Amino acid sequence: MIDMAVFKQFQEAIRHLGEMAQPEPLTDAARLSRAKAVMHRKTDRALAMDLESCVNCGYCSEACHFYQSTQDPKYTPTRKLDLLRRVHMRETSAFAPLHRLFKPDITVADLQEWQELVYDSCTECGRCSMVCPMGINIARGVNVMREALSEAGLVPLELMAVAQEQAGRGTVFGVGPAELLRTVEALRAQGIPIPLDEPVADVMLVTTVIDVLLYQDALAATARILNHLGLRWTLRSAGFEAANFGLLSGNEALQKAASQRLIDEALAVGAHTVILPECGHAYPALRWEARLPGGEPLPFEVLAASEFVGREIGSGRLEVRSGDTHQVVTYHDACKLARHGGVIDEPRAAIAALGVEFRETSPTAELNWCCGGGAGAFLINRAAPLRHKAWEIKRQQIDATGADAVVVSCASCRLNFMEGAEVDQWSTRIVSLVELVADHLPGDRAH
Amino acid sequence: MDLLDWARGPLLAVAIAVFGVGVAWRLFSLWRLPAPAGRPAPAREAFGTTDALKASLFRMAPHRGFHPSATLVTINPYVFHIGLALVFFGYAPHIAFIRRLTGLGWPALPDMVMYIAAAATIVSLLIALLFRLTDPVLKKISRADDMLTWALTMLPLMTGMAVVGEPSSALLAQASPLYRGPLAVHLLSLELLLVWFPFGKLMHAFLVLPNRMQLARFLGRRGVRT
Repeated sequence: MIDMAVFKQFQEAIRHLGEMAQPEPLTDAARLSRAKAVMHRKTDRALAMDLESCVNCGYCSEACHFYQSTQDPKYTPTRKLDLLRRVHMRETSAFAPLHRLFKPDITVADLQEWQELVYDSCTECGRCSMVCPMGINIARGVNVMREALSEAGLVPLELMAVAQEQAGRGTVFGVGPAELLRTVEALRAQGIPIPLDEPVADVMLVTTVIDVLLYQDALAATARILNHLGLRWTLRSAGFEAANFGLLSGNEALQKAASQRLIDEALAVGAHTVILPECGHAYPALRWEARLPGGEPLPFEVLAASEFVGREIGSGRLEVRSGDTHQVVTYHDACKLARHGGVIDEPRAAIAALGVEFRETSPTAELNWCCGGGAGAFLINRAAPLRHKAWEIKRQQIDATGADAVVVSCASCRLNFMEGAEVDQWSTRIVSLVELVADHLPGDRAH
Repeated sequence: MDLLDWARGPLLAVAIAVFGVGVAWRLFSLWRLPAPAGRPAPAREAFGTTDALKASLFRMAPHRGFHPSATLVTINPYVFHIGLALVFFGYAPHIAFIRRLTGLGWPALPDMVMYIAAAATIVSLLIALLFRLTDPVLKKISRADDMLTWALTMLPLMTGMAVVGEPSSALLAQASPLYRGPLAVHLLSLELLLVWFPFGKLMHAFLVLPNRMQLARFLGRRGVRT
């Protein structure tokens, strides 16, 4: 059961998050120079080709939930790359000297204007790339813009505050090893064995602040599944936080450091598999972007929780009881897991094994609509009205299936769904995939 | 030397040189930038160059799940691109022009097909302009490049229509061109297009395949269908 009082506390904490930020005092010239330095450093061959390929057809706006829900053309995805494009065309493109004659340089005012475009109104969901006739990876460009703004000290204060906390104290929302231990002990008191800080393990489970504080059932469910499979696994106090505010805020150094904590712990216990919690952005951060310090790929497998349970069920290693066949469920593909991660079939395999009636949304899988709260947008207070408009597309998509419940496998999406449901008095149940699977473990009805 | 001699001779050579060198320089300038850093994470599934090429070619069809909207017409770009290709590569005098330059030739399409293709291409360009001037998204994102490229693409089509006074067989049967002045203007408009080509968005003709392939490879390795 979700403790709604904790949910309210979480919402309240977010409201005051910006007050904790400590913005770096920088001159306009320093901000501009830092931002441009990042743009130059990040403009590799792939990004430059993306920037030069746009034919301004505007198709990307059809795919963007922020444009579709507001009809405001300033949210057109390709436009979010305009500053990056201008800097590239003026300074690193083939005809840079000619472009300098006609295109003005970017200014700090431009950077400030772009903060809303790349943080509040872009969840880096990547849906625009699926429709782009030129195949432009707009989400990657937006991420580079976030890095440029981060370096210029122009990150929204809420994200800045959490990133500073994670970089400085290594905690997120004040959750560190002591808070993890408290949650682990609470779950152990419910009769769920949870190995913590085992010196050797085949599988290292990673959790996240939201699960430690709010979705403890998701952590418990994953533990029950791992125990049921008889795996030798552990959580590690020194590296348990999957949330990566380096990635979300655009702080590359923090992104690497946050990943490194997990990598160090996985190497220390000799894990061959790291299982990430139901956390969308944690997946690309560790599975697709993290490397060893020397640049080599990680020597262990990284799996999302939904990917893991789907794979185990698909292989026959994890058996589940058939559930209520009258229950109608649909599934929400988190963008970072599905469209940017390829975790599409496994969650469906898990749901199919439960015997419930499953209805796909339309569109679905890699074309699914984003919930509107990803990539840190959920934490930005001023973005709440915009986020809610985008969420309405998602809600209508779920409603059209006629499902009683929507299954999710990302805690950020789940938070955004809960917030949307609270505002709209939406009655559709929001269910975690791992919790649903754990509830169908044979001989495990007690939990 | 009259204007046509200039347009067929030195000016054409200059235009082709600017086009060739400009396109090569623009592609080289992209290539000389550093490649994306680091070895990629192990792929979820093997995804090679052939897969990327296949995905890129399939992207020519509108993605399933996306529907054409009232404001962003999907069919218009198809009409334009197919029409332009037919006119440029299928019209007998154009083939004769290319044969004179390169020695390469192929059978022409009937004149009537060409007239219809040219009309459709011109109409599609006008529709494209209408949308660019009225659609809020296109108005917001349009740059000078869009308008200049539109004008320089329209010019050869319009000036070409001015020299289609006779069937192509009659035009080609003449020892020297029937309409020297209008033909010179038509050639000059083509040369303008060639000169502008490397500097603006017409370069998408060369970038479309590699760019689609890099996205297909990026997502394909992750097991995402593009």
